Amino acid sequence: MTDAATLLTDPLEEIAPPRRQHGAAAWAVWIARRLGLALLTLWLVSILVFLATAALGDPVRAILGRDYNANPGRVAELEALLHSDESLVSRYFDWLSGLLHGDLGTSLATGLPVSDLIKDSVINSAMLVFLAALVMIPLAFAIAMISVHYRRKRPDTVIQTILLAMAGLPEFVIGVLLLALFSTTVFHIFPAVTITSPTGHPWDNWKVMVLPTLTLVLWVTPYVSRIVRSSLLEVIDSEYVELARLKGIPEKVVMRKHALLNAIVPGIQVIALQLAFLAGGVVVVETLFAYPGMGLELVDAVRNHDVQVVQALSMIIASVYVVVNLIADILSILLTPRARTAISS
Amino acid sequence: MNQNSRPNRDLSRRQLLRYSGIGVAAAAGSSFLVACGGDDDSGGGGGGGGQQGSGGTLIHGATGGGSKDTLDPHAPVTNPDIARVSNLYEPLLFWNNTYELEPALAESVEGSKDAKTWTIKMRQGVTFHNGKDVTADDAWFSIQRVSNPKAPLSAGGQLSTILDFEASKVVDPTTLQLVLKVPYALLDSLLAEYTLGIIPTDFDIANPVGTGAFAYKSFDPGKTSTFTKYADYWGDAAFVDELQIQDFSDDSAKVNALQAGQIQTVDNLPYNLIDTIEGSGGGALVSETGAWVPFTMRVDSAPFSDVRVRQAMRLIVDRQQMIDQTLSGYGTLGNDMYAPFDVAYASDLPQREQDIDQAKSLLAAAGQEGLQVELFTGDDIGSVAPAAANLFVEQAKAAGVDVKVTKKTPFYDDQYLSYPFAQDFWNTRNYIPQAVVGTFPPDQGGTYNETHWDNQQHRDLVNQAAQELDATKRADLLHQAQEIEYDEGGLIIWGFRQQVDGYGANVQGLEPSRYLPLGSYKFNKVSVS
Repeated sequence: MTDAATLLTDPLEEIAPPRRQHGAAAWAVWIARRLGLALLTLWLVSILVFLATAALGDPVRAILGRDYNANPGRVAELEALLHSDESLVSRYFDWLSGLLHGDLGTSLATGLPVSDLIKDSVINSAMLVFLAALVMIPLAFAIAMISVHYRRKRPDTVIQTILLAMAGLPEFVIGVLLLALFSTTVFHIFPAVTITSPTGHPWDNWKVMVLPTLTLVLWVTPYVSRIVRSSLLEVIDSEYVELARLKGIPEKVVMRKHALLNAIVPGIQVIALQLAFLAGGVVVVETLFAYPGMGLELVDAVRNHDVQVVQALSMIIASVYVVVNLIADILSILLTPRARTAISS
Repeated sequence: MNQNSRPNRDLSRRQLLRYSGIGVAAAAGSSFLVACGGDDDSGGGGGGGGQQGSGGTLIHGATGGGSKDTLDPHAPVTNPDIARVSNLYEPLLFWNNTYELEPALAESVEGSKDAKTWTIKMRQGVTFHNGKDVTADDAWFSIQRVSNPKAPLSAGGQLSTILDFEASKVVDPTTLQLVLKVPYALLDSLLAEYTLGIIPTDFDIANPVGTGAFAYKSFDPGKTSTFTKYADYWGDAAFVDELQIQDFSDDSAKVNALQAGQIQTVDNLPYNLIDTIEGSGGGALVSETGAWVPFTMRVDSAPFSDVRVRQAMRLIVDRQQMIDQTLSGYGTLGNDMYAPFDVAYASDLPQREQDIDQAKSLLAAAGQEGLQVELFTGDDIGSVAPAAANLFVEQAKAAGVDVKVTKKTPFYDDQYLSYPFAQDFWNTRNYIPQAVVGTFPPDQGGTYNETHWDNQQHRDLVNQAAQELDATKRADLLHQAQEIEYDEGGLIIWGFRQQVDGYGANVQGLEPSRYLPLGSYKFNKVSVS
């Protein structure tokens, strides 16, 4: 994610050429097409995930180790769970149809239904990412606007230097610094790890959420902020903003109505990418703060060769990528008049 | 850990791959010692002296664990598992902090003269967490559960082969009589493992009851488990009202939590973080153990088939340097003999020290000047092993021996037990069980005989001792057996690891134990202020 800007696709290029249809119908076709593409992507991902986990070797052998030869009963039990006697293709379609019916299978390591096993951690991770987004989005935009306001003056230079420095820090360094500052060495304000209460959620004690959220926020804000700033600058230098100013419209209105709205689209794209990235990339942060989320669960599952859990979590992470990007695309279109009209005309 | 042999060992080997090195070797079952030698403030454990107040919650940060965590009294694998079973359930006898047997749920365990019939007298007035009295039936049920000959659990490996299930019987509610097929003088030590907790005959894993100082409240595998103080405990009731055991997959998260005061104790504190914890007001609990990472030389393969070469290799090792560099100084000297806590340990044999001149002359006498050997090691033995192997290369150079280290991934593959020169790891055991599993031929119980040691005289002495109830006579036999290994054996045992655990500033009552980390996890003795 070092260079998010280059990954951004211009939503305008992806739209279908104008067709002779009327508004609503054209929209329906467009959305159906995008949904179809999203499903196609997920289906391809499912094949990849299945092949990748199947290529890891015989999970039964891996789980039992030396007991493999000594414990034929357990081998048969696990193989029945895995349906290892069937062909790869038929196993894939069994698994896929299970997925479509919302049945994620049974965990090899624990014998519990996968959905029960991962439910809590998925919710926990979602909450963490949600909180991070809630703080990060306004913050990134605010910083960008302040920066633009002072552009090429000292405050802008200072902000940009700090952002650049922070963008260069890996998330665990940020986390370790925050821990030392707020939890272990300097102050003792916030807890260092999540001590899960057996019945409740981690956020029952709000303080637990502060440092993990802050780490994620400090990690992604610089990227988003820098992208928004550069697109704001581009807009501000454009002729129509210049014209608005010449017409005597107050600077505040110019910024809000003319500049920000037009600069928001690249912002949405980069935010979507970052959020999707966070869904799969919180592993390190979760490990550092012992936060019981998807990342920790995935690491544990890989360690235990718990194929079903790995598959389920991979599919969830892939779905988040696809869905978040889909939403971002739709928002971008809606916020770009040129694109809107292109579809409905 | 006496006969915890096979299942547990296999698991621990596998565990080692998963968690950071040494920690788990310890966890997989053993013992650690007192001494508090290492650290100034560990004397008296976590401030063992002074007034201890009641109440509060103790949160223990356990290393490792995952979704496979279990509450099964007889199949604990990971550190958090062991911490849990040690507080929920209790065996008939305890290994105490100095690794000696003492009565627990049994008042006495006595063998007949021929060591074939053993009478167990149950302690009166002990109740399970559900209020039911503990009887000999429960004890017999638990013993049968672990020693099912078809699928013995870790505590039952040896029991399943020697118990006469037909002849053994419950005499009355407080008396159990175990009859053996062969004489075995160490039966009592088999009954003292933490993996043989006594459970009621109607045991249900969904609502597990035992006799421990803490009763089950909740369990979330891989995350956390909670226990409440058992007020009717037969021994010293717990100081704290509630015990919580939290899993940590990451060392730094564990230590951060301790520093932030969120948890009160951690097992297996990394050596490099001891100063950090002490700086923040906490402490390190240093306990000696009988856990060792030997170099193993195959006595049936050249050049090690020549005893002079084996002795030369033993003289090459600078033992103190090994401890200082691979264990950060947290170790005690080894003298090429295992089972340092056994009452029969031959501590009178002179401590072997590095002697390059003598090593050279032995090698010359054996016609092996300029010897070249290949040393097999691997990360799955534990992080100590590769470090020790590399250090040995340096030490061997002085004697003109050229050692080439080959790091295998995994080390424990099909070639394990056939490497001519390699390493391995072992946890604390007493002499007889260790000698059987490590130096007997495979068909006589030597499952992990790395050195292919095959010495009839040595074997006879060990077997004779295993049937000898008289402690003095037994010690004498074992001394002779150890002398043989000291003079001719294929193991280089350079040291024993010390266990280091951590505790917070507000914790009292911890005492070092040779058996398990954190004073054998006896959290009823710990108070939090």
